[in-house]
This record gives sequence, structure tokens and C-alpha cells, in this order.
Amino acid sequence: MLARARRKWPYLIIAAPLVFLVLIPFDWFLGQYTSIMIFIGINTMVTVGLCLLMGYTGQISLGQAAFYGMGAYISAILSKTYHVNPWLAMLIGAAATGAFAYAIAYPVFRLRGYYLAMATLGLGVIVYILFRELDQYTGGPDGMAGIPCLSIGGLVFDTPFKRYFLVWFFCLAILLLSQNIVKSRTGRALRAIHGNEAAAESIAINVTQFKVKIFVLSAVYASLAGSLLVHHLRFVSPQPFGFLASVMVAVMAVMGGLASIWGAIFGTAAIRILSDEVLAKPELVGWDVVVYGAILMIVMIFLPQGLFVGLKELYERWRLRYAERGAEP
Amino acid sequence: MSEPILKTDGLSKLFGGLVALDKVDISIEAGKITAIIGPNGAGKTTLFNLITGVYPSSSGRIGFRGVSLDNISTPRRAGMGIARTFQNVLLFGNMNALENVMTAQHSRSRYGFLEAALRLPKARREEETISLKAVKYLNLVGLGMYARQNALSLPLGQQKLLAIARAMATEPQLLLLDEPGAGLNTLEKRELGDLIRRIREMGVTIVLVEHDMDLVMGIAEWIVVLDSGQKIAEGTASQIQRDPRVISAYLGEESE
Repeated sequence: MLARARRKWPYLIIAAPLVFLVLIPFDWFLGQYTSIMIFIGINTMVTVGLCLLMGYTGQISLGQAAFYGMGAYISAILSKTYHVNPWLAMLIGAAATGAFAYAIAYPVFRLRGYYLAMATLGLGVIVYILFRELDQYTGGPDGMAGIPCLSIGGLVFDTPFKRYFLVWFFCLAILLLSQNIVKSRTGRALRAIHGNEAAAESIAINVTQFKVKIFVLSAVYASLAGSLLVHHLRFVSPQPFGFLASVMVAVMAVMGGLASIWGAIFGTAAIRILSDEVLAKPELVGWDVVVYGAILMIVMIFLPQGLFVGLKELYERWRLRYAERGAEP
Repeated sequence: MSEPILKTDGLSKLFGGLVALDKVDISIEAGKITAIIGPNGAGKTTLFNLITGVYPSSSGRIGFRGVSLDNISTPRRAGMGIARTFQNVLLFGNMNALENVMTAQHSRSRYGFLEAALRLPKARREEETISLKAVKYLNLVGLGMYARQNALSLPLGQQKLLAIARAMATEPQLLLLDEPGAGLNTLEKRELGDLIRRIREMGVTIVLVEHDMDLVMGIAEWIVVLDSGQKIAEGTASQIQRDPRVISAYLGEESE
């Protein structure tokens, strides 16, 4: 009996959060959080990309906001200025951002560690400046409004309620794909590169090629997220794609546990809620950088595997102690 | 004598002004256990690094089964059937023992990103083969019961065995072992000797760099002696033990 109940647990573990997630946007449940949940879903897509790159492959990027912004601007410009179908624009954005990441990846990955961090940081800054300065296309610092909604057939994603499901469909799909990748031979190759590059090469793993591939994948994730963002806000400006955005993605990834795909949701949610609900207060302006820095330090020291895995381990320890006391009634 | 599996011709390596290897000609006979010995700094590990392509040679050629290895990258050489272990072991500390070995099945499996992401049948089938083979190689070195342990939590002796299992999981024709006996106790060394012989019986050619003379004399069928980057002698164990150049390289010149 007990064994059977235990075997059913995994289904419950998957089903319960899913039902919860589906119910959130309904007004009688947690409807007032729909908007922030949409942002969490979008940000999670960017975070997962960085988890794959940083947590699994061990390659730092402080320029993820560049790819996020490229997806956003390509979607915005194509769908608004050139009246391209928004889905096609999204696809073109992902392809173009992926191609751009591929083009810069080979020179970038000749660098390691801090140098890699600096190069990607520089990339982020350059792309941000382009968004601001190419104002005849991007609308400059003021941005551009009136971006159309996404739609499927007759279903137009014109309310936050509908967009919530759209965003979380994409987000969960990406999480699932990433989880599968991580558990595959590709995932092992990535972890091998993180573990030791010389040893990885000695067992026929092409280190550079995998770094490039995963960099491109993370860029595509970020680009898709950017596209979803502009079709949600129906507005785009350079503001969400600056240096601080790249740092926030890194903090979210670290918080969620760098080498944990599902942790990305929790890390992203924790930081997003903190930044929107707490640090957005007028008396706290300017403190955000201090707080993110402190979080990075505290998490790295006390929960080096991130909030998600850290709490899971605390739970395991608690369960073990519970079992030791002879809890079978 | 049968066709050599590996052959170097006038192989040299300079690091700046330092000559690490000086016009070395070595031929490794297929199916044999060859030991490369020599004092510290003789160029033994450099030789391994050149064979596996960690860095390019300064001059000379390396041929593997009649194919020149020039301009072939390290991972591709591994895919061609050259596997190695490292002096400092270099296991993947972020994985358990089984995963370390599974990872080495990389070049023996094909499915890619997309098949992995969508968990297509091909990916699942190959995953099954990968884990079965990994268990097989883990059992070969006798570490089956430590499959789920983190690789770096194992004691050094077992780490070294795991490194051999990982190298074997690439299904090589040529296995290069860099000081497999270093840091092992007498019993572990005897077991290591048995393991190396077992691997030879599987049809894998073995080249080992080793300082432990009991181990070398016990298992090596051919011995190559390097000193200061040059090959000073080669032969069977008994020939090497009597060679005056080898004795002077190890014990120093006799002063008159």
C-alpha cells in the first residue's frame, strides 16, 4: 500500500503545480498577479538559456540582454513598421539573433573566465547603445508604441489573461526541451566541458563546437522571450535591455541554482518579485544594485546550488531526521 | 613483426628554447603492452600530448594505422580510437562515476540536439545502449557498486580505475595510460597490472608511461626508454635491464 502510494507521488508532484499555474490568472484565485506572472514567464526563458550556458557548460555571459533586446526589436520593427505577421517576425527574430550569436561565438569563445565575462558585457553595452541611437528604426530612447498583438486564427492575445497562457506555454515548452537536453548525451558533454576541458576533448567532445551551440541556443531563447515581451507590452524601448538587465538574468540564474532547469522559475520569480514589489518603492531607488550584489554573495556562500536545490536539500535533511526518529506510525 | 598501430618519425617538440622531444622514432606494435620509461623530464607526457594532439609537434610525423594525424584535432583523434588517461586523473567532478563513463560514449552515439530535446525514439534507444555499455566498462574496472557516487568522492586508487573505465568507454584501439600506478599501494598495483592485461586481451593496444619498475617489468612486452627528449634504448624487459645507457640514465654516469 505504502509503496504504491509512493509511486504515485511523482505524478502529484508534476500535476499539482501545473493545476496551480493554470488557475493563477483567474480573478477568483490570484488574478491580481497575472501581470507579474507574465513577466516571470518571459524572464524565465532568458534565465534558462543562461543556466544552460553558465550552470551546465560553465561559460559566463553578461550580455544576455542583448539577445533579449534583439528579439524584441526585430519583432517590434517587422510587425509594426513593415506589417509582417507577428509569428513570422518572431521566427525571423530568433533566426537572426541565433545567426548573430553564431557569428560572434567563435571569436568570443577564444576567451575564458573573466575575459569571456568582459567580452559579453561589452557586447551587451554595444547592442544597447545601438537600440538607443538607431532612432530612425527603433524610435530611440522614447521607443515605439502600437505593436500589434499575437493571434492564432480568430484568437487574439489582447488581454493579459490570454497572454498569460501564451507566455507560460512557451516558457514550459522551453523548460521541458532544456530538461531533455540536459539529460541527454549533449547535456553530459556540456557538463564535461564544465568539469574539465582537456578531459572532455580526450573523450572526443568538441569543446568549442558545444560552447558555440549552447550560446546560440541561449540567444534564441532570449530572442523568443524578447518577442513575447513586446507583443505583451505592445511597446518597446531600450530600458529593459541595458547592462542591469543582463546582471539581473545572472542573479536570477544563480538564485535558481545554476545547474537546475526548474530552479530557473524560482530564481526568476524571487528576483522579479523583489525588484517589482520591493525595490520599486521610491525611497529605495538606487538600492537595487546593492541588493543584487548582496544576494549574489549570500547565495554563493550559503546556498551555492541556488535557492531551489538548497531548499530541496534542506527538505531532504529534514525528512531524513524525521525518518530516523522512527516515524512509521 | 606485424604492422605498427602507431608510428612516429623524427618527432620533435620545442617549448621556446627547451627541447622536450628530440627526433624520436617510435613504433608501437598492435595488440601489445608497451611501456615508456625514463627519468622526470624525459618527455614522456609530452609524447602523449603530441599523440593526442593537445599541442602540435614542432617537426616530425605521427601516423595512426597508416593515417597521418597532422591537422587532426584532439576530439577527432579520440573518435578515431586513441584514448588516454591523465597523470592528474582529471575526472568530471560534477558527475557521478556512471555519468563519467557514459559521457565517454559520446563519439559512439549519434543523436543530436533536436532528438535529445524532443526525446525521440532514436535518442531513447541510444541512451539505453549508452548506459548499458557504461555499466559494462564500470564493471570491467570493478567499480560497478560505486556507480552513483560522485567521481571525486572516491579514493585515489578508484579514481584512477574510473579514469581507465572512462577512456575504455570511447572504445579505443590504442589506450595511453599516463602513470596509472602512481599513488597506488602494492595490492592496487597488482590489480592494475591484471586489469591492463585484461584490456589487452580485449584487443586494445596499450602504451603506458610509468615510474614503477615492478609494474613495468611485470606487464610490458616492449619497453622504450626516453632521456632528455631522446630515445636511448628499446627492447624487452631483460634487454632494458642490462642496457648500459639505461643504467647510466637512471643512476647517473659512473665517475672515474
